[in-house]
Amino acid sequence: MLKNYLKIALRNLINNKVFTLTNIVGLTSALAVSLLLVMTALFELSYDQFHAKKDSVYQVYLSSQTPRGLESGTSQPVPLAPALKADVPGIKHAVRTLSDDVLAIYKEKEINLDAEFSDPAFFNIFTFPAVKGNAENPLSDKNNVAISEEGAQKLFGSTDNVIGKSISLQLGKQEQLFTISTILEDPPPNNSMDFDIVIPFENHPEYISNMDRWDSQFHLVYVELEEGITPEQFEKNTRDFTSLHYKGSIENAIRDGAVANADGLYKQFHLLSIADMHFTSFASGMAEVKRTFPYMILGIAFVIIFIVCANFINMNIALSERRLKEIGMRKTLGAVKKQLFFQFWMESLLVFMVSTILGLVLGNLLLEPFKTLFNTRATLDYVTQPKILLIFGLSIFCVTLIAGGYPALLMSRLGTLRALKGKLDFGKNRLRNSLIVLQFTIAILLISGTLVLHGQIEFMRNKDLGYNKEQVISIPLNGKKDSYRVVELLRDELKGNIDILNISGADNNLGLGRDGSSMNSMMGFDYQGRGVVTNALTVDYDYAKTLDLEVVAGRTFSRDFAADSLSLVINETMAKQLGEEDPLSIRIPMDDGATTYSVIGVVKDFNFQDISKQVNPLTLFMNNDWDLYYAYVKIAPENIAGSFEAVEKAWSKIEPQAEFLGSFLDENLDRTFRREKTMATIVTSGSILGILLSCIGLFAISMLVVGQRTKEIGVRKVLGASISSVAILLTKDFLKLVALAFIISTPIAWYFLNEWLQNYASHVVLSPLFFVAAGLTACLIAFATVGSRTLKAASANPVKSLRDE
Amino acid sequence: MLLQLNNIFKWVNSGGQRIFLLKDINLEVEQGEFISVMGPSGSGKSTLLNVIGMLDSFDEGEYNFLDESVHSLKEKHRANLYKQYIGFVFQSYHLLDELTVKENLEMPLIYKKVKGSERKAMVADMLDRFNIVGKKDLFPAQLSGGQQQLVGVARALIANPKLILADEPTGNLNSKQGEEIMELFKQLNEEGVTIIQVTHSEKNAEYGSRIINLLDGRMV
Repeated sequence: MLKNYLKIALRNLINNKVFTLTNIVGLTSALAVSLLLVMTALFELSYDQFHAKKDSVYQVYLSSQTPRGLESGTSQPVPLAPALKADVPGIKHAVRTLSDDVLAIYKEKEINLDAEFSDPAFFNIFTFPAVKGNAENPLSDKNNVAISEEGAQKLFGSTDNVIGKSISLQLGKQEQLFTISTILEDPPPNNSMDFDIVIPFENHPEYISNMDRWDSQFHLVYVELEEGITPEQFEKNTRDFTSLHYKGSIENAIRDGAVANADGLYKQFHLLSIADMHFTSFASGMAEVKRTFPYMILGIAFVIIFIVCANFINMNIALSERRLKEIGMRKTLGAVKKQLFFQFWMESLLVFMVSTILGLVLGNLLLEPFKTLFNTRATLDYVTQPKILLIFGLSIFCVTLIAGGYPALLMSRLGTLRALKGKLDFGKNRLRNSLIVLQFTIAILLISGTLVLHGQIEFMRNKDLGYNKEQVISIPLNGKKDSYRVVELLRDELKGNIDILNISGADNNLGLGRDGSSMNSMMGFDYQGRGVVTNALTVDYDYAKTLDLEVVAGRTFSRDFAADSLSLVINETMAKQLGEEDPLSIRIPMDDGATTYSVIGVVKDFNFQDISKQVNPLTLFMNNDWDLYYAYVKIAPENIAGSFEAVEKAWSKIEPQAEFLGSFLDENLDRTFRREKTMATIVTSGSILGILLSCIGLFAISMLVVGQRTKEIGVRKVLGASISSVAILLTKDFLKLVALAFIISTPIAWYFLNEWLQNYASHVVLSPLFFVAAGLTACLIAFATVGSRTLKAASANPVKSLRDE
Repeated sequence: MLLQLNNIFKWVNSGGQRIFLLKDINLEVEQGEFISVMGPSGSGKSTLLNVIGMLDSFDEGEYNFLDESVHSLKEKHRANLYKQYIGFVFQSYHLLDELTVKENLEMPLIYKKVKGSERKAMVADMLDRFNIVGKKDLFPAQLSGGQQQLVGVARALIANPKLILADEPTGNLNSKQGEEIMELFKQLNEEGVTIIQVTHSEKNAEYGSRIINLLDGRMV
């Protein structure tokens, strides 16, 4: 019996070659792409889930009521972690971590390593297993460090005989000797803490000076709660602790007019599960866990599968009308409902199985290009877990049951005589039409998403940021030499070159450089009896000139003035915050009045932070005691490549050991919206595939519909209809569906895209043109798809379709 | 003279051999004639009708319709020609299932670009003439075969054609209905419409003024 079913199924599939082929091609590509998308999504979702204690380990963050509203921060002061552990009940471990770049020196080799400064309990709460050496307590001594396999490979060239070796690390301005105690497995790619080396926290250059300071916050704190303690209990337990240690800043907040929260508190510690860490944003003041990105990818994968399944169902229903006679015949021969159902289902299953296998093969072939294109480190391991495979198998089973079973059910229920006569009424094709409308709704949604995403990216790329991004190279100062000296040497080296216009330095980058690090530096002080918060940036001479910042009032730092280390240059937002009519008259006492700074100039606002943010208050300092981390070189617009080479050459002369990581600021800017670009690529490819698959479906359906209507077409032509009028008549029906899809999708697309654009302080205007363009594209493509078919049908000779036989 | 066929040949190639569907057909049809085409199955009756109706092409010979040489006309002009002068009646009626009787009748007029008000008048006229006013809002499936064919004839007539081509118009009808349709044809013929019908039935052929017999594509 089964063999018979299989045989018939195969023959039927071969008979309807076009449809079998379109189905298999569509299903295969959809499955392959969905496989890759699901892989990416699962990879994203698996971030930080590998920690064995992920249910009891939390990141600590502090929410503060400020005059500007609720603000939260994960940066903590040095004494917090020990104090928490000592004073607050229910805490098993409290660990400080700080990510930094560290220059490691072994013999002749100098290499920049990603370092994690932390406490010994780091290895108690996080799951980073050791390969060799001390696995129990890698940071048992202040001078012990743990290095990853990759780090060891970079520094020593091998992982053998590394334990016990001495290396020196440049911390601050001096080198310090350390012993390798442990080699760690490389941190997995789905990990928020990427490091090559773990160093005891006490060695951080900022440690000593900040040991007892609660107002200097620059690292993260993680706690492991004791069993049975909930985050809510922790929050309650830390209330007295908080009001004790943050007394001063709470008083300031009250003075400045902050409003207490519902519990009557001004500061409150909260916990954020490390499992949620990767997905958290603090944009609204409190931690918000949003897994939008992976779910969006999953959504696209699902939608693609849906489109292709809708095609499958539609074609099957349409095709089955041709097979009514066969069904009637079978019924007269004694087939029962169940057998007919089984037979039809078998055909669907066969198609799906072939497509699944092909899809897996195709997915594997596309894996590498996909990974580069979407810039993901995901591997198929994330999909080939037994649980996922089971879900996958089950969903295939369900889809075939629906796709193959629905038409099968409809037909097997049909009366024998009616089937034999070959008349079938599927409720005026309502199901078919709604599926087509749904497909195109999705396609139009994706197209408008694509257009708006690209619009926003273009908008960000072309926005006037207030500084010159085309002509300026920023170079991470990753060498051993003193940063001011390096900048000075660069100036000397490039003095003769007429294409080099200006050179300066600062302690922060603009955009995201090739070193991949970013930071924010903020400070607060009292001005005229109220608290003021500003971003701080240490710069070298000529900073404004190098970046083409516009000076609105006063002057910038200059070599002509000796006392500029006590001068400040502020941006307009900062000037507004300080609220003085003449900003140049502002004097700011700092360090409890020990020093007084005076504002000497105001620069026009420029986007010194992420472009999605509004321009915040900024204060520029010039203080040779504070290191610079980036050099900026402005070059002439002519001979750009030559100038870049000259800079690189000068660099390798000055810092022969350190890698040159200079890049133009517009490249840096592009890097900051890598996420948007990835999203755009995914949505774009999703929409292309979506529309393509929808069109395959539409094409097949139009073929069938035209087939069903040949008699009508013949009659109309005999009655004198022209080719064009028949073609329009047939095409119109499909375009109507696309138009309906457009009407449905536009408000949905508008709502979601508008929501998304709210994440950006300045964004592209959501003009109706985006949607009109999306709708027109869909219409045009649909027209092209259906048009060729209908035109062919319309020009066929009516005699053929009207023969009475 | 309405139309003239001179040495018409039509063939298909099958396995390197020429199979003739029509062989040396010579026919002249005057206005007002009522011609019955007879012959066994496969003798080429329908093919001949289709050639006359310009729905099908032929391979050799000349065809003049109202002094226009059809064989040298382009597809589009040919379509204009038959749209204007020829009405078709089919064995299985070929009414459009999703249109009502009234709309079916309207269809040829729409394609002839007749104005709306004029169209209505013509349809009403035709409904009246065929006594089917009461059925104007029914769909073909709600009519009996005879009634459907009545609509089919009405539709063929509505554009005032000079020639009606009927391919076994009574083939799907019972004898009484068939008789009615033939009576109708006779009456129309008396009113001046030229009719060419294909039929199997000797009795129906008698209604015509001339009988043409076909055998294997040849006139006998």
